Amino acid sequence: MKSGFLTRSWPLVLALAAAALALPIVVSDPFALDISIRVLLFAFIGVAWNLMGGYAKQLSLGHAAFFGLGAYTSTILLIRFGISPWIGILAGGVVAMAASLPIGALCFRLRGPYFAIATIATAQVLMLLFLKFRDFAWGAEGTTLPNLGDAPLMMQFESKAAYYYLALALLALGLAITYRIERSWMGFYLVAVGEDEDAAEAVGVDTTKIKRHIYLISAFLTALGGTFYVEYIYFIDPNTAFSFNVSVEAALVSIVGGVGTLWGPVVGTALLEATSALLQSWFGSGHGGVQLTVYSLILIAVILWRPSGLIGLFTDLYQRFTAGSARAKEVPLDG
Amino acid sequence: MLEIIAQAVVNGLLIGGIYALVSIGVTLIFGVVKIVNFAQGEFVMIGMYISFFLASSFGVDPLLSLLISMPVLFGVGVLVQHFLIRRVLALGDMPQIFLTFALSLLLMNVALLLFTANYRTVQTAYSELSFHIGPLYFAVAKLIAFGIAMLLSAVLYLFLHGTDLGKAMRAAAQNREVAMLMGINPDRVFCVAVGVALALAGAAGSLLMPFYPAYPLVGQIFVLMAFVAVVLGTLGNITGALIASLMMGVAESLGVQFVGADSGLIVVFVMLLLTLALRPNGLFGGWAR
Repeated sequence: MKSGFLTRSWPLVLALAAAALALPIVVSDPFALDISIRVLLFAFIGVAWNLMGGYAKQLSLGHAAFFGLGAYTSTILLIRFGISPWIGILAGGVVAMAASLPIGALCFRLRGPYFAIATIATAQVLMLLFLKFRDFAWGAEGTTLPNLGDAPLMMQFESKAAYYYLALALLALGLAITYRIERSWMGFYLVAVGEDEDAAEAVGVDTTKIKRHIYLISAFLTALGGTFYVEYIYFIDPNTAFSFNVSVEAALVSIVGGVGTLWGPVVGTALLEATSALLQSWFGSGHGGVQLTVYSLILIAVILWRPSGLIGLFTDLYQRFTAGSARAKEVPLDG
Repeated sequence: MLEIIAQAVVNGLLIGGIYALVSIGVTLIFGVVKIVNFAQGEFVMIGMYISFFLASSFGVDPLLSLLISMPVLFGVGVLVQHFLIRRVLALGDMPQIFLTFALSLLLMNVALLLFTANYRTVQTAYSELSFHIGPLYFAVAKLIAFGIAMLLSAVLYLFLHGTDLGKAMRAAAQNREVAMLMGINPDRVFCVAVGVALALAGAAGSLLMPFYPAYPLVGQIFVLMAFVAVVLGTLGNITGALIASLMMGVAESLGVQFVGADSGLIVVFVMLLLTLALRPNGLFGGWAR
């Protein structure tokens, strides 16, 4: 597995983690914190997508299905039954896992572009259905979540920093799961499926089973992101929860960063969200098309010139840096 | 009741003609270049804006502007093939899918920046015109669009079967290596295939303009319809795509009539998922994987 970057480099990981933990203490500007929360959330969803799209190379463009199911499950439990989103977030994950079984059964027979198209269709069907469910899911108008003030037990906080740490915890969870899987038999099977499904099948890998398992995990994680998102913005409607943009962004951050690598989605999200924040401060938020125009240009550039993603650039730099310092240490020995 | 059904079928068939132009383009590119073009709908959108600006600035009839939108988009297609698609042909699924996908995002959002999200319409003398045959009502603009769409499909069929270049395209679609051994230049054939496909999308845009508003995201509907039709009609099969597009038009129209105005798309998606589940190779067969 070639994604050794940072996994062998504990000092760097610890430094990053310390910086991430310290950030809300140093930064109090709400705009900056909001952007950091979005970076963490989308990096997390990218990590969830990457398990499926990066390692097993099943290019889903329908992860909004799980994001939306997670968001709706916890919100319905909260508003209709008064159940805390802490339980709802897990329930949403379970619902998404359950939904991934029939969706997978339908889509796994398809490969490449057909798989992508079929996953788009499943997410769109769910969105259209939730537009129709006016009685228990508020239809097209959506609903705002009740503001309970500072209620940590109901996943509602006064300070943005709390949301930040929650998002950070989700991302850490996603990375830890990916790290574990990378080093397990499942990880090797996944890469085998991703490299060549027929060959994997021929040497005895049950490819359908592997794809089903990783889809369960990926769907569960994505749904957690969905619940977090509606809890954070206090609003839900089908167009937000099942937004095609969620599916796109999940794939996009992974591809720009580097598919099938532990840190690829994080690098991709940091780069894209930073760009988008800069654009917002330059152009204001009034210009709809600017952000996606720039995203798509970045995506085209990455595909044409660095299809393995930008993380390679960082790996090279880091290796040059560590190799440089190693050589510096050797000098006195030689002398 | 029977009349309502018949009317829905007529309306569906007429719009299905436009879907056919888009799907034939998608299936042609897939058949020859082996790429699924996610941006096909955006080229319909570009065709619409070309016709809109020609009509609003110079008073050119949208049907006449077909003569401009088609060659312009043919040129765009050659450029897209030469500078973008050609460079990912040797790479895997991921770059191939996401290149045209990124192109689609790019074109949509550039259109949003340039033209805003406003709906643009063109009023022609025949935009509101219609006539009756028995109990059935026919909108003239849609009938003309359907007629020209079928004509263009027939011309494409004759081109593919009757000319050397067309035969070279079919040969390259069947077996790239052998075609190269026979002296066919695949780069040239691929450029022509993408060019023709985009010209058809441009034609669809111009034909839509008298009765359909142009806006930056308009292509999404058409490309989704095209995907369903292309899968239903068996990928790479042009006649299949044509028949399936007409069926999609009818299915959508019946869905709107009997399930509700916002249900057309649900019907379409459910048809896609059913097709993928029951007949992943499409209704017209053989091609496997």
